[in-house]
Amino acid sequence: MKLNIDGLLVYFPYDYIYPEQYSYMLELKRTLDAKGHGVLEMPSGTGKTISLLSLIVAYQRTYPLEVTKLIYCSRTVPEIEKVIEELRKLMEFYTKETGEKNNFLALALSSRKNLCIHPEILHANIVVYSYHYLLDPKIADLVSKELAKKSVVVFDEAHNIDNVCIDSMSVNITRRTLDRCQTNVETLQNTIQRIKETDAAKLREEYRRLVEGLKEANVARETDIYLSNPVLPDEILQEAVPGSIRTAEHFVGFLKRFLEYLKARLRIHHVVQESSPQFLKDIYEKVCIDRKPLRFCAERLRSLLRTLEIADIADFSAVTLISNFATLVSTYSKGFTIIIEPFEDKTPTIVNPVLHFSCMDPSIAIKPVFERFQSVIITSGTLSPLDIYPRILDFRPVTMASFTMTLARTCLCPLIVGRGNDQVAMSSKFETREDFAVIRNYGNLLLEMSAIVPDGIVAFFTSYVYMENIVASWYEQGILENIQRNKLIFIETQDAAETSMALEKYQEACENGRGAILLSVARGKVSEGIDFVHHFGRAVIMFGVPYVYTQSRILKARLEYLRDQFQIRENDFLTFDAMRHAAQCVGRAIRGKTDYGLMIFADKRYARADKRGKLPRWIQEHITDGSLNLTIDETVQLSKHFLRQMAQPFRREDQLGLSLLTLEQLQSEEMLQKISQIAQQV
Amino acid sequence: MAALSEEVLLVVKRVRQRKQDGTLYLMTERIAWGPEGKDRFTVSHLYADIRCQKISPDGKAKIQLQLVLHTGESTTFHFANESTALKDRDAAKDLLQQLLPKFKKKANKELEEKNRMLQEDPVLFQLYKDLVVSQVISAEEFWASRLKLNSVDHALSNNNKQEVGISAAFLADIRPQTDGCNGLKYNLTSDIIESIFRTYPAVKQKYAENVPHNLTEKEFWTRFFQSHYFHRDRINTGQQDIFSECAKQDEKVSHLSCVKNPMVDLMSLEDKTLDEGYGSLTALPNSSKTVKENSNSAIIKRFNHHSAMVLAAGLRKVEASSDQASETSSTDGNSRDSDFFQPPIKKVKLQEAIEYEDLQNESGPKTIALNLKKSDRYSHGPVPLQSHHYSTSQDIINSVSCIQEEISCYKPCLTRVMSSSAASSAITALSPGGVLMQAGAQQTISQLVSTDVQSELKHLYTAAGELLRHFWSCFPVNTPFLEEKVVKMQSNLERFQSTKLHPFQEKIQREYLSTNLTNHVEEMIQAAYNKFHAWQTRRMLRKT
Repeated sequence: MKLNIDGLLVYFPYDYIYPEQYSYMLELKRTLDAKGHGVLEMPSGTGKTISLLSLIVAYQRTYPLEVTKLIYCSRTVPEIEKVIEELRKLMEFYTKETGEKNNFLALALSSRKNLCIHPEILHANIVVYSYHYLLDPKIADLVSKELAKKSVVVFDEAHNIDNVCIDSMSVNITRRTLDRCQTNVETLQNTIQRIKETDAAKLREEYRRLVEGLKEANVARETDIYLSNPVLPDEILQEAVPGSIRTAEHFVGFLKRFLEYLKARLRIHHVVQESSPQFLKDIYEKVCIDRKPLRFCAERLRSLLRTLEIADIADFSAVTLISNFATLVSTYSKGFTIIIEPFEDKTPTIVNPVLHFSCMDPSIAIKPVFERFQSVIITSGTLSPLDIYPRILDFRPVTMASFTMTLARTCLCPLIVGRGNDQVAMSSKFETREDFAVIRNYGNLLLEMSAIVPDGIVAFFTSYVYMENIVASWYEQGILENIQRNKLIFIETQDAAETSMALEKYQEACENGRGAILLSVARGKVSEGIDFVHHFGRAVIMFGVPYVYTQSRILKARLEYLRDQFQIRENDFLTFDAMRHAAQCVGRAIRGKTDYGLMIFADKRYARADKRGKLPRWIQEHITDGSLNLTIDETVQLSKHFLRQMAQPFRREDQLGLSLLTLEQLQSEEMLQKISQIAQQV
Repeated sequence: MAALSEEVLLVVKRVRQRKQDGTLYLMTERIAWGPEGKDRFTVSHLYADIRCQKISPDGKAKIQLQLVLHTGESTTFHFANESTALKDRDAAKDLLQQLLPKFKKKANKELEEKNRMLQEDPVLFQLYKDLVVSQVISAEEFWASRLKLNSVDHALSNNNKQEVGISAAFLADIRPQTDGCNGLKYNLTSDIIESIFRTYPAVKQKYAENVPHNLTEKEFWTRFFQSHYFHRDRINTGQQDIFSECAKQDEKVSHLSCVKNPMVDLMSLEDKTLDEGYGSLTALPNSSKTVKENSNSAIIKRFNHHSAMVLAAGLRKVEASSDQASETSSTDGNSRDSDFFQPPIKKVKLQEAIEYEDLQNESGPKTIALNLKKSDRYSHGPVPLQSHHYSTSQDIINSVSCIQEEISCYKPCLTRVMSSSAASSAITALSPGGVLMQAGAQQTISQLVSTDVQSELKHLYTAAGELLRHFWSCFPVNTPFLEEKVVKMQSNLERFQSTKLHPFQEKIQREYLSTNLTNHVEEMIQAAYNKFHAWQTRRMLRKT
């Protein structure tokens, strides 16, 4: 159908539309009009992607000078492929409706093999790729730096975007890294020696270039051709490479010295934590390395590798890592921390020192994106609470909205189970997690559910270790065997290949009617990337609140930073983080309005307002006071009732006019009034 | 005493039941026990009621045999004859072992099936009465083609019955119990053994290889449980363990098979671009694990493996038969190149993933992909034998346009119409009751004939139809069996004519109804006779 979204003609490749899709497009248009950024939360399965694509493509066609490009970032390869497929559908619809051949060029990058195609990126109207191509400075520099300013950037499934940012800026150095780096440096030295004998002019030419400084890059940035690289700070561009590392030999000597220093730092017996300035002070005192040459390290190495015409850069990953670290540590005095640990906490007897250079501020990596592109849209099915994202990513959105799912029948049923039938409180909190009664009650819950839920059940635990312990305990108590009488059991492991097999078998068992249970882990690969549509997931059980492992020093440092810099309290952040993962897990089962599923939160802490309030609105609004602190028996009763209702036939007519609209219905005044209530502005 | 009429297979004396001495009798259909000195049985169980038997472990002081009934009740016999107790018990056990399975499966499925068919289908029932009860044809003949027909109708319901799957919890039923002196006791039934064999074909193979020439059955299972016990936690797979191979085999199989559905392939899920050394890892990989964690993950591994094997056991049968089916289809000259025309699974899964069924109007009935066994046959097409008989599409288009043209230039010639009186008489003649409509106004059979006669006629038709179906299904007569059958059918038809058709004809004659009611049936039978005689004369000619 052809829609009129606030005066914009939008081709929408379906015969019907969900009210929330219309509302979403309205908000999106408003954001693009304002040339600002937006944060939009819309439930999964309500056709978010096609709404985004339809509106932005229409916008591009109508205002080709305002928006020149759509950069669509998603997380996983299947997600990217889905976007491409939906785009294809949209383009076919355009061709059919307008009768003209489409001249839109869309491009998907989904592997590093395709990296050498950046001229095409410049010409494509739509680019679809993974987050890293934009957020990881090492890759963004290669792929994305020439993208036009008038682009719209969409981060879909963006609920974890802060972690992607942090990952792309953090470095870990082990003894093995340093050893490989040592080899790299030796190779460099030999190559330089050889070239010096054969082609000394080449090195002299490089020297001349370095005297002139990185002016070239500076010109480009000022004229706004490049996406700025957070690893390559602006100041560097103003200056010439310092004399101490200008010749190739000097630079190699410098690297050697730096390497020796790092080796010495790893020779420790107790944990050290320090800030970047402390580290710089120490390195100056110990080996007389100044801050300035350190900052040029990454760029200087790149120049050297280019000059030496080294084809396979991958061989030099260790020395590249070290020089990136040098540049980062000397560039940012804030937002990073250095933690050197002599051994792992679990195995204090095995010496395995690691230097963590950890980014604590996700805004550093994403800053260039917000600054460069006129509109950046952060969207996902679970972004609650919405206001935390602008805070931790440090940007000012023009729209922030959360959309509900309009439903003709309540197809999701969130239940909070707080007690066993023996009235013992159920919780995964630290003090009681080893408690026999809790583990048994969790087992009973799963057992009871396995008897009443058809086809597939997915259960999530808070961590691998916790799951392994509970599974072992259930095994000893014979609970698993009883569950096996009802369904087959498959369990996620840390081995991706094994888990993939288990996942496929799980689906097979759901498909052939046998029914199965998948035991899985929040924050694991399954919870982040696999959907359990229809019979593949009729119930999701979240055992416990998936708090991150709080004993890690890196996390503690990050929490401190959040508190000091953004005034976010530790507990608020931890709860937010736990709840977004819980929401991700339970949201896996609902993938559309014809789908249905139980969402069982098995921990009494979910009943508290501070937890519940952080769930997405579309889940929260279905939690009634009567489903807050249930026993297992009550849960079974409510579930039975729900499943019986859902098993009734559900036709299009039931939805029409309520949660599914024709064009005429959409145009009625009354409906538009209703639609305006779907989006809740924050 | 009822037992007198039964054949007694085994008698064991000095068997105690409820602390009472007595004698145990194993008969053809039941097992019974009577107390000493009395001539009646206080215990009597039909074999069909017995679920399983259990025996006391070797070395126990009391030598016992327990029967567990389907109702859950159980009866225990204590063999009390000191010198021969063990032998007595084993004799009883072995005999029961042979007898019980027979009774378990004896439920006469075929008879049930026939009964069900007759009950569900009144027409069939009537036919059965007409043909079998009145002894026109024998019951075997009647069912011979019926059951086959039926199995074609519901392809899976009969011959190809869906296999009953295996309970995932079958190992739960043999949870070991400690016997109190550092030993473990497993209770095995033939059902469980079958489940083990079906789930783990490798074990079945081992069994076939080793029992009974290398190991006794008991030793085999002892070893199995010992190995399986270790197998679970993967701590020790000793070299002398005959099952260590199985584990390796299983592992090989699970490594060979990779994920078919790309949407669940976790390895290619991420567009992993972070190099080694980057990222904020909270726990580095290859971190060493404690022994407990190792055994925990072994349990998890085993559950995944077990579930996969159980699932596969349920599918194995289906696959085997479908393989067979496709093999037979490929023997008729069709290669399996149809696979190439199937859309790749990834594309299908992607389409499924982005589809919103409620947003779209149903795009007509779901089409089925053209499944070509041999594509070149399709593209070349059958060559018409007599091409001149066919009008080309161009011809048809031409003629249609011709007609259209003629119609478009048709002009009614108003001066040369017929007179109004002639026209009205023509209309009268063509109206119901008119001269030309006589045939249509004839009274229908339903008005002439009583309902009894009608239903009788109907039955005659179905019966004749059935017989004729049998008759004609014999042609072409190319096997001795069919020869025999066609002759028999011919005589069946004659018998039908004399015992059923002729009495009916006489009856309608008595009621002064026109005999042409049965003309058609007669014609059909006559046609069959003609065919039969033609066949017979040809056969005679060939013989001479």
